[in-house]
Amino acid sequence: MNYEQFKRLKMLTVFFILATVGVAFAYNNMVLALAGVLIGMLFIVLVRRRVRAVLVDERLENISGRAARWTYAILTVFIALLSLLLIMIGRRAVPQQEGIETLGIVFSYVALLNLALYSFSYKYFAKKYGDTDDEQD
Amino acid sequence: METRTTNKIKVFRAMHGMTQEELAGKVGVTRQTIIAIEKGKYAPSLELAFRISRAFKEKVENVFQYQP
Repeated sequence: MNYEQFKRLKMLTVFFILATVGVAFAYNNMVLALAGVLIGMLFIVLVRRRVRAVLVDERLENISGRAARWTYAILTVFIALLSLLLIMIGRRAVPQQEGIETLGIVFSYVALLNLALYSFSYKYFAKKYGDTDDEQD
Repeated sequence: METRTTNKIKVFRAMHGMTQEELAGKVGVTRQTIIAIEKGKYAPSLELAFRISRAFKEKVENVFQYQP
C-alpha cells in the first residue's frame, strides 16, 4: 500500500468514527461511541503496518519534538497560572467557594505532574542517547 | 530557519535522472524532507547526508558544503 492509499483510508476511518460517535450520541449509547473509536484506531494501526512508504523520518521527528516542547511550555504555564487564579478566586469569594478552590488545587497537581513527566522522560531519553559525565580516554 | 549547509542534491538528481520521490525512497525519508533539504530549509543529520551521498555514489563533501 502506498502513502496516498493510506491517506484515503485514514480519511474514511475518521468519517467512520465521526459517524459512529454521532449516531451513538443521538441514541445516547456511550458503548457504541467507544466501540467506534476503538475499532477505528485499531484499523488505522493495522493499516499503517502495511504501508511501504516512509511515514515518519528524522525531519518529522524534529518537528514533532519542537511542537511538543512548545506545547509543554505553554500548557504547563497556562495550567499553573489558572490553578493560582482559581485558588485565589475560591478563597476570596464570599461565601467561600470550595469547589473553585478544589479545582485550582487539582490543576496545580496536573501542572506538577506535567513537570514530573517531562523531567522523567527527559532523563530517560538523555540516557538513551548517551548523556553521561563519564570520561573516556 | 535557513541552514548554513548548502547542497547539490538537485544537480546530482538531474545527473542520475532521479525524482525526489525516488531519492526519498532510496534513502528512507519522505519526499517533503528531500524538498526541505534541497531548498536549504533543513540540514540533514550526518547519517542521512551519508545515505544521500551514497545514493549518488559520491563523497559527502561533493554533495554537501558547509558555509561558516
